[in-house]
Amino acid sequence: MRPPIKPIPARPSMYGIDPSLVRTRVSELPGMTSVALHELFPDLPPVISPGQDGIAEVRKRTVEALKDVDMSRIKPEHKVNICSSHHGFTLLGGEPYAEMLRTIRDVIEERTGCRNIRLRSGVGLRFRETEEYIRRYKLDEYFKGKAMGVAPVDEGVAIDTEIGTLYGIKRIYDADWIVHAHNSDVREVHFHRMVDRAVKPFGMSYARIETRSTYHQNLGPRAANFVARAIFDSPFVQSKFAFACFLTVAPHGILGVDADSDLYSLNERITEIGCRYYGKMMELFGEIDECIAVLDFPCPVVYVFSAGVIYANFVAANTDLFDLESPLPAYTWYTEAFYGKRGYPLLPDIPRLNKAIKMCVHSYAWTGYPSAFFSEHIPTVVVGQEQAELFNRDPQNLNYMQNAVVAESPECAIDFARKVTGVDKIVIFDGAPGGINLSPSLRDFLLARAPEVSRRVDEELMPKWLRQRGVIVKPVAA
Amino acid sequence: MKLITLIPVVDAQKCKGCKTCARVCPVVAIKIKDKLALVDAERCRGCANCEQRCPEYAITMVTREKPFLVKVDLDGLDYGKIKELCLKARFHPEQIVCYCTATRAEEVAGAILLGAKTPDDISYMTGIRTGCKVECIQPLLRMLEAAGIQPKPVPGGWQWYGRTITAWEIPEQVKEKYASRGFFFAEDIELLNRVVNAPLQGKE
Repeated sequence: MRPPIKPIPARPSMYGIDPSLVRTRVSELPGMTSVALHELFPDLPPVISPGQDGIAEVRKRTVEALKDVDMSRIKPEHKVNICSSHHGFTLLGGEPYAEMLRTIRDVIEERTGCRNIRLRSGVGLRFRETEEYIRRYKLDEYFKGKAMGVAPVDEGVAIDTEIGTLYGIKRIYDADWIVHAHNSDVREVHFHRMVDRAVKPFGMSYARIETRSTYHQNLGPRAANFVARAIFDSPFVQSKFAFACFLTVAPHGILGVDADSDLYSLNERITEIGCRYYGKMMELFGEIDECIAVLDFPCPVVYVFSAGVIYANFVAANTDLFDLESPLPAYTWYTEAFYGKRGYPLLPDIPRLNKAIKMCVHSYAWTGYPSAFFSEHIPTVVVGQEQAELFNRDPQNLNYMQNAVVAESPECAIDFARKVTGVDKIVIFDGAPGGINLSPSLRDFLLARAPEVSRRVDEELMPKWLRQRGVIVKPVAA
Repeated sequence: MKLITLIPVVDAQKCKGCKTCARVCPVVAIKIKDKLALVDAERCRGCANCEQRCPEYAITMVTREKPFLVKVDLDGLDYGKIKELCLKARFHPEQIVCYCTATRAEEVAGAILLGAKTPDDISYMTGIRTGCKVECIQPLLRMLEAAGIQPKPVPGGWQWYGRTITAWEIPEQVKEKYASRGFFFAEDIELLNRVVNAPLQGKE
């Protein structure tokens, strides 16, 4: 039996329990196995990380990607903000993204003579998160004391757009030039629906609360990401935008680095990668008929991931997240908003959460994202009283434990879940690089279903998904 | 509705009186006196914005000795007026407008009918916008506007700046320009309208 893959380790954070309390990873329990993503989808392209050349390859690829990017407008006396986001630091432990950021800084300095290069790092709903990453990766030292986490409640700047005034974070834009340093991991496809994915941080981690609330409350599930385009296209942002540099990511690792002064060209390239490879994984997960889902990763509940698919997307895997003809995924905030007082959707055609998940074992996941909706609708076992208490202290999760039970250990939780549900298929969201940690029965199930899923995505779904986004179909990019 | 369980404690040795905590407090419960942050314990709703943004790490959230519940009781209010206000702001009365506290539009309307004039008042009365502090400012501004109230931001504060566009207000030329790029404006408006006009599940 193939051994489990070593998962991403627990990490210290104010949003999670002390790593010393994470004594057992669920993948270490007897009988667990793994499947490599290449076994499921042999057409997946090669990756640079994980890889034998390690982080050096990320630096090399970043330098290569930036080689043809015009930096002539950046003068030695200018200020440059390299704008980054928390999400990149969750990919493969975060070091690849940190190295891309360091390299961008070095290349700008070398090519332009500019030395006033600052790192600005935006967040989701955990306002200290990027401060933690900046310390972890010693980025403040690397940026000569000019690295800073920014949050959506920080001082704002009004931005005139073609849909009226929206608001950005002042410290994102307080430079002559901004560089958009991001990644192509699809992550919250339930929110952005892979429409202008590359542009999203302009409406989210670089944006103030007014803008983010517009995204999640004012525009609707498929129009939401337009706020990002509106801000990016504004004369204010265009007057400062220098270029973008992205880690290109697939479910099994980092493919390379892409950079462009034309963000929409870059967006088209990553849209194709995202739809094709993540689309296959999500379609495959949608095939699962019954399972126990295990959360075991240093991220909030929604963001723990397996094979590049976050839990927030797995709970909606019964719906096609990429299909724009379908207005609402089974989980997105608009969907959650549309559940009435009696606990079911206000309209009969609003999809319910993925019924294949018979129980969720929350072995290790962080606070800092409103997650009570999941424990309300999916039977949930949380491991350890310390973790339960942490959630009870989180202003975003005061109701999470109202509908969850506590188990003493991962062993007890899995045992309980198996007995209660009678289900043997277990999928572990622990970020295992290059594969999935799971039970043997689920491994067999996925291997049997993957070929047909692959064909369906390539031949039927990809043309539809790309057509809906106005992206011209091109050969697969490596 | 929210159970208030936490309260900030300021370390006087670390606090420099920079005002960041006061500027981000969604219920305006912090004042600076003699270069020291002072928290109004009765007014605080335990959101931890101050703790999360203090540049000196001078604030710690601790558990209150006596937690208390804040909510607007809709009993005794005219539900017809609540519904009217929600629909005018284009919300279903039972629609959740705060994902952290699961506050529904009807409770926000109730707060306004009881005299709330600003988002800060509504947060104080219902606990909304004291979880993540990010996603629910627009529903509050829309509901106040529907009630004919034009609130003014706290002078010098960063609590909120202004109402922004809704789906119903997107210019036609914008809809046409981006229709082939995956932005389904018209279809989303149709969905939102159906939700707004859906039957109530709870008792009217």
